[in-house]
Amino acid sequence: MDNNKFVEVKNLRKVYDNGHEAIKNVSFAVKKGDLVCLLGPSGCGKTTILNILAGLLNPTSGEILFDGKSVVDVEPKDRHIGYVFQNYALYPHMTVLQNVMFPLVVGKNKKPKADAERIAQKYMELTQITELADQKPENLSGGQQQRVAIARALVQEPKILLMDEPLSNLDARLRLKIREEIRALVKSVGITTLFVTHDQEEALSIGDKIILFNDGVIQQDDLGQNFYLEPNNYFVANFVGNPVIDNFKVTKIENKLKANDFTIDIADLDQSRFKRTLADGDYLLSVRPENIFPALDGLLQATVDDVELIGRERVLKFTNDETQARSLVNLEMPIKHGDQVKLKMRLDRVFLFTPDGERVY
Amino acid sequence: MKTNQKKAWLFLAPTIIFVTLFSIYPILRAFGMSFQSGSLIDLTWTGFNNYKYIFSDPDFWLALKNTLLYAVISVPVGLAISIMLAWIIFDKVKHQSLFETTFFMPYVTSTIAIGIVFRYIFNGDYGMLNFLLRNLHMPAPDWIDDPAMSLTTIIIFGIWSSLAFNIVILMGALRNIDPNYYTIADMYGASGKDKFWRITMPQLVPTIAFLLTMNIIGAFKIYTSVYALFNGQAGVGNSGTTAVFYIYNKFQTVGTPGVAMAATVVLFLIILFATFLQRKMMKKIGEN
Amino acid sequence: MKRFRIGTIFSYLILFIFAFITVFPFIYMILGGLMNFQETTSIPPTLIPHHFEWGNYAKVFAKAPFARYFFNTVLTASITTVVSLFNSLLGAFAMVNLRFKGKGIIQIVMLSLLMVPGEAIIFTNYNTIAHMGLLNTYVGLVLPFLTSIFYMYYLQSYFGSISETIYKAAMIDGASDWDYIWKILVPMSKSGLFTVGLLSFISGWNSFLWPLLVTNEDTMRLLNNGLTAFASDAGSETQLQLAAATLTVVPILILYFIFRKQIIKGVVRNDLKG
Repeated sequence: MDNNKFVEVKNLRKVYDNGHEAIKNVSFAVKKGDLVCLLGPSGCGKTTILNILAGLLNPTSGEILFDGKSVVDVEPKDRHIGYVFQNYALYPHMTVLQNVMFPLVVGKNKKPKADAERIAQKYMELTQITELADQKPENLSGGQQQRVAIARALVQEPKILLMDEPLSNLDARLRLKIREEIRALVKSVGITTLFVTHDQEEALSIGDKIILFNDGVIQQDDLGQNFYLEPNNYFVANFVGNPVIDNFKVTKIENKLKANDFTIDIADLDQSRFKRTLADGDYLLSVRPENIFPALDGLLQATVDDVELIGRERVLKFTNDETQARSLVNLEMPIKHGDQVKLKMRLDRVFLFTPDGERVY
Repeated sequence: MKTNQKKAWLFLAPTIIFVTLFSIYPILRAFGMSFQSGSLIDLTWTGFNNYKYIFSDPDFWLALKNTLLYAVISVPVGLAISIMLAWIIFDKVKHQSLFETTFFMPYVTSTIAIGIVFRYIFNGDYGMLNFLLRNLHMPAPDWIDDPAMSLTTIIIFGIWSSLAFNIVILMGALRNIDPNYYTIADMYGASGKDKFWRITMPQLVPTIAFLLTMNIIGAFKIYTSVYALFNGQAGVGNSGTTAVFYIYNKFQTVGTPGVAMAATVVLFLIILFATFLQRKMMKKIGEN
Repeated sequence: MKRFRIGTIFSYLILFIFAFITVFPFIYMILGGLMNFQETTSIPPTLIPHHFEWGNYAKVFAKAPFARYFFNTVLTASITTVVSLFNSLLGAFAMVNLRFKGKGIIQIVMLSLLMVPGEAIIFTNYNTIAHMGLLNTYVGLVLPFLTSIFYMYYLQSYFGSISETIYKAAMIDGASDWDYIWKILVPMSKSGLFTVGLLSFISGWNSFLWPLLVTNEDTMRLLNNGLTAFASDAGSETQLQLAAATLTVVPILILYFIFRKQIIKGVVRNDLKG
């Protein structure tokens, strides 16, 4: 038994009846006790994967192992999983207590009512919903429903907890609070958790690891900070980061990278970061907004189109070569709409991508 | 989730068995019998003779004519009255559910029982209707016993019965129209008439199409109300006979099931055709 | 402003006239059933009987086995309602929640069968029942109506509006399909099932053509058939005919007034989707 591969997915593929290929050859592993986020834009296949892991959908091909054993042919109820649905899927005609008890009083592993109630009470205490026991779901707030759903998912003491966008129906402030609680809870229970979200900030804050999907393919499977510092490709660089990364079209000619109105000497770049030697041709130069800033010896000249305040910082928006770009500056910096500025980049922090998205620097 | 296959068929089994036995089989059987002659226990192949027979039978043509006239008159008139009433209730009345409950009563009550009451109200001598008409100095025909009046009587009863379903469905559709449309119309100073024709009617098109289909299908199947009005007859001297009456008569009384089934097939095709035609028409209106 | 008010008054006038026309036959039926014979045929017609002749009802029960008709009707309407509801429930569940090959075909066949008028198949069904030797039996009366595509279709739309994650949650919680149906689906769809049950019972109560075909013994008749037979037999005794009609209509009207909201809501719901 390999605790580093408590959940293992190998060459998973899912083609729907209408021919849509939702998952294309996906493989990954999750370490026991980890909280892993499946991140990606809507329609990227992350919920499909969760449904396949739960046994609610059949994969077209591929293998799924829980704790070293294949579960592809195992019914959902025998997979030892808990599932928290986006809409919570609480049974509206049952009280909170009945909802939490339900998994214990149906099916093959039925428990005596007293035992079931005792176990349910335990998890209701854990999720702090004991005093709601006799309420119907319709009378609960979103956050309370969320806790009931988690208690119900945990009550069978599953080995794996699957959560499908559990925070998307909550308002922004509550979302921050609950996500901390969820992390604390699953860590205290020690359960291996897969958490689907489309919100990068949520994934970065809650996940031990993040797997980023797009178009049914894993784009990057990594620790949170690496999505930021070392994106695998153009998609990852653009998906992660707020405000989003700036992209400039450049062309490599001889030892220079030429954009429309600035030129970078390749010798000025950090040679150790090159993944391979560059051929002449078109590239995309991407730089995070905090790594491009006004400076007297700036590289490119631009007019500030707009200034947006985001908390401690301000975003300067400018247009270069018909693309909108942003620069993140300190709140105090005295720049206003319409100012002419010179901008400088931290060349050891920029990325270079080929036109089809492969990272080369 | 792979074991779903067997389970699904198990859950559907009762439905499939009954539907096959009492819906699918009888359709095929009716079709087959329409090419056979003889009594139920002794059927022999006869080709198109049954069809030839019904098309040369004046009774069949009368039945078809009555049924068609009934459909063509009672359905549009009934629907127009229903739209008017539903709109009045929706637009003007506070206690909408009171009126809805009232108008829906005929839908749940037995046609036979109410038919008996109508027979009584329509009575030429002592009926309430003629009493009223005479007092208003209007002609007071013999609704029940005059063969020339049979169809008119049937149509009036038909319209009366049809309001219930129509009004309730129309009320449902009216309530589904986004009230913001009316708020905006009010802001632009639209009159009540404008609102009805520019907002309400276009929104009601799908509902009206649906009601037309249902009413026309219902009209082609008319039987029970005639039976009740004329006490088991199709009016004096069969003057109010309808397609289903004809089928029942040929099947049960005369004992020529083949002829009855040929008439059934023809009726079925007419209903299909009417439904199809009217869907096409409504689609065109919907596009304009 | 004045034109507006005239329009409103005119609208109300129309509304009240039609409401009166709708209700009048019912009132007249009930009152007529309490008149004596002279009053029912008097010219000008009597509206309010001089003296309520409750004895009319005793006469109706004495002249025809109406008690038996009631029993037969309640029995057959209840059986068809319960069994068809059960069958539709299982079928609709399978169509909504299970995935299987051939589902699309079943759906198409069911939808096309919805278009087939009952009158087109009722005579061949008579043939089937006669062959089975079931004429003049309760089984013969109910057999073709033990399943209803219409109600199955209705329940399908009802179940379809329940979030599919509820079924998924139940599967993960370890519930069997049977658990799901009885512990979740049924309690969640109580009002829908109840409406279907009511509508089914009412249509069973009012059924006419089928029992007319498959029964000819007086003891097996249902209310409406008994009523027409009585109307021909009682011939001229109009007050008794009206009393008998009242007997047939009033129980359903009571049921209707109690559950009017559910019934109307149910009818509106299923038909807009059809």
